[in-house]
Amino acid sequence: MFSRLRKISWRRLLLKWLLIGSAVFLVLFSCYFFYLDRSVTKQFQGTRWTLPAQVFAAPLELYVGAPLSMSDLLEELARLRYRPAQTLERPGTYRRQDARIDIALRATRFADENRRAGIITVMAGPHAIEALRDAAARDMPILRLDPLLIGSIFPTHGEDRIVVTPAEVPVLLPAALKAVEDRKFDSHHGVDPEAMLRALWVDLRAHQIAQGGSTLTQQLVKSYFLDSRQTMGRKAHEALMAIALEMHFTKADLMNAYINEIYLGQDGDRAVHGFGLASQFYFGKPLSELDLSELSLLVAIVRGPSYYDPRHHPDRALARRNLVLKLMADLNVISAQDAAAAAARPLGVTTRAAGAYYPAYLDFVRRTLRRDYRDTDLTQEGLKIYTSLEPRAQDDAERTLDRELARLEKTRKPTNAALDGAVVITSPSSGEVIAIVGGRRIGYSGFNRALDAERPMGSLVKPFVYLTALETHRYTDASIVQDAPVDIRLSNGVHWKPVNFTRQTYGAVPLVRALAESMNLATVAVGMDVGVTRIAQTLQRFGLERAPAQVPALLLGAVEATPLEVAQLYGGLASGGYRTPLRAVRTVLSTTGTPLKAFPLELAPVAQPDVVYEVDQMMQQVMERGTGRPGRALLPPGVTVLGKSGTSQDLRDSWFAGFSGSHLAVVWVGYDDNRPTGFTGAAAALAIWAHVLADLHTTSWSGAMPESLTDVSIDYLTGLQLEGNCADPNAIHVAVPLSTQLPKDPNCSAPNAVQRLGERLRAIIRQ
Amino acid sequence: MNARIAIALMMLTAAGCKSLFEPPVNPGAPAPNPASEAPGTAAPPARPAATRHYQLGGAASALVAQAHSRAAAGDYVAATATLERALRIEPDNPLVWIELGRVQLSAGSPAQADSMGRKAVGLADGDPSTQAAAWRLVADSLRARNRNPEAAAADARADAFAPR
Repeated sequence: MFSRLRKISWRRLLLKWLLIGSAVFLVLFSCYFFYLDRSVTKQFQGTRWTLPAQVFAAPLELYVGAPLSMSDLLEELARLRYRPAQTLERPGTYRRQDARIDIALRATRFADENRRAGIITVMAGPHAIEALRDAAARDMPILRLDPLLIGSIFPTHGEDRIVVTPAEVPVLLPAALKAVEDRKFDSHHGVDPEAMLRALWVDLRAHQIAQGGSTLTQQLVKSYFLDSRQTMGRKAHEALMAIALEMHFTKADLMNAYINEIYLGQDGDRAVHGFGLASQFYFGKPLSELDLSELSLLVAIVRGPSYYDPRHHPDRALARRNLVLKLMADLNVISAQDAAAAAARPLGVTTRAAGAYYPAYLDFVRRTLRRDYRDTDLTQEGLKIYTSLEPRAQDDAERTLDRELARLEKTRKPTNAALDGAVVITSPSSGEVIAIVGGRRIGYSGFNRALDAERPMGSLVKPFVYLTALETHRYTDASIVQDAPVDIRLSNGVHWKPVNFTRQTYGAVPLVRALAESMNLATVAVGMDVGVTRIAQTLQRFGLERAPAQVPALLLGAVEATPLEVAQLYGGLASGGYRTPLRAVRTVLSTTGTPLKAFPLELAPVAQPDVVYEVDQMMQQVMERGTGRPGRALLPPGVTVLGKSGTSQDLRDSWFAGFSGSHLAVVWVGYDDNRPTGFTGAAAALAIWAHVLADLHTTSWSGAMPESLTDVSIDYLTGLQLEGNCADPNAIHVAVPLSTQLPKDPNCSAPNAVQRLGERLRAIIRQ
Repeated sequence: MNARIAIALMMLTAAGCKSLFEPPVNPGAPAPNPASEAPGTAAPPARPAATRHYQLGGAASALVAQAHSRAAAGDYVAATATLERALRIEPDNPLVWIELGRVQLSAGSPAQADSMGRKAVGLADGDPSTQAAAWRLVADSLRARNRNPEAAAADARADAFAPR
């Protein structure tokens, strides 16, 4: 009896505690689920992703007369991943017949307008565009191609993505994802118990967690809310969160979130998330333009972006892509014929990552924007940044630098260090930077020599010495100066005795020749006469940031500057005495397209146009008769270019800087450890510079001569003025101030009788 | 007879004075450069009254028209961006610089307008009407900063090229 009672009470007690326990568990579980539900929902509503800023190159301008051939056009279309097609039904395609090309343009957002998709026709001549028409065959004055996406500014080790709307997603993508990853997606409530049990069975037999069995919702939860460690506890957590999500969001919304969230590849520090960016990353074109085989490859990559990386493991990627196609055909998502046709296609991934990456240029963009934006603005707010990068110029400059450096290295004894270099190309009238090559390793975001290599300018400083001399009005291009031994006692008592590179002295020479042949002794004589202080001031006026040491060695370039700074300094010489601050960014738009900031062109007068014109005339002779002459042969014969070589002490730095009518380029060649290169500026940098300019389809320099100047003919060697019909092989033209009296060449001064008659005739005709 | 002698003499001296044969002005084409235009001349020719007549090419003039409507709507940022497109196509055309300066003046940047006007003056050499337009821009930009005597001087220079 007693024992029975005890037995009953024991059972009751157990039941009671079980009930209490269950109730507590239920309450706790409900609280937990409620908490989970709240936090999941809260996080998932509103802005789901922080978006890195997207950076765009300058769009190519098409207009009648634009210096573009058909091959230039085709190259640009290939860069923008337009595809040749028979019919132009889809944007992003083109059809070429001889000199005519029809292009189905994509809808594009420019910095200042949105353009709808549409078809245009271009007629390309051998050197220039001859006609530009819209779909109704009306002539169009001007049209821009799409701006190339060249990269994004994402946090270090951060996620990068391009968010796509459901309208931008091809219908086959959700279908393929369901077929391969989650067949019951449309009907389950976040988890698929059958699939989970199947996966568990496989896992238990394999004694490890191998198979997912996760629904798309679970995968989304795992990627969005959790880190990637797989444990049983975490699986339960993930399942509950998936159920919570399903309670609050529609299937369509979850599918779109999945498409934008999922991890699809790695690119150095950058994690490629979402199908929008993956499409750019693997194929270089928008998701909406992918065909069946391309979509299937992306779906294949979902399972293992590293294992199925199509660039590193093309065989695995191909096999899995074809499995995806087979699964889709089995479920009648696509026909067997379509699957077979798509399976027969190559992978079609681009060799270089999408947008090609111009790390040196992006570096400059980032530095420009850091002045106005916090890092989080750039990496999270989805800004659109429109730059002046010209991909064609950038690609050509990268290739040229690498090719020429390799050629130069072959002429020298092999060393353990690699010769390196940098190139900066700008448009001098606007100050826009159109290309930056920061080193030989293209696409490598390491030391940016164009921005950070501070090297002695060497003779690149001489045009500023001579400009300062001309400003005193005591010198002209034709002034005779003495290239003779110099001995200057410095403040510390040391005697400075510079020599010419050739170790010779040249005696009395005109200023123009002293610059053209980069004579050190004549330059020091002129510079000491004018004053080192004034020359330092000139350099700062033209844009040198730090005050240079005011020592006589400044006259021969003992002042450090980066290639970008040299481009700034020479910009004033190229644009008639106006400094235009160098800029890479044109406009910044918010993620919704509102203009946030523009960087307009600014002009500041830094020298009188006539003085700059006189310097330019001398720099023209650098190319015709001086140290730049070997570069002439590499340039088109009719194109007038101006430049100056620079070489630092012991041949450590080889420079060339100069410009045409439309472009300015600066080239530096040297070793990172500052060892001597064995090359002068003319020997190494000049060839690169000339090739770079020749590739640019550049126009002749054609500065307008200011009214205060007059054109005279002088003998290049002696500086004596030539008059009359004089067949002097050394005759050159320079501009000197009006009413300048020059010593005349006695052999060549008096105009002969016929010429006098001609003069009189001209006078009669003018009347 | 006299004409024949004149022609013969002109042919004889042609090599020595190419400037005798000024090239015809080609509207819309890049303007010739006076410095490189007369190689071989012994003495520089006197500056002729009008050797050029600047015009905008088709693409640039379409962009200038677009900039005008944007500026009229008060969107100077977009107008500037549009004119910079034109400038990329014709960087040496003073008419584009004058347009750009006009927008800067409207946008409240008279110092920029001044620089652009002076730059245009330099580029417009040989084209009196464009030189006058450039000096008027300089004058207006000076007036906007209450530098009236200088503005009057700039206007006088404009008047010298093209009287109002």
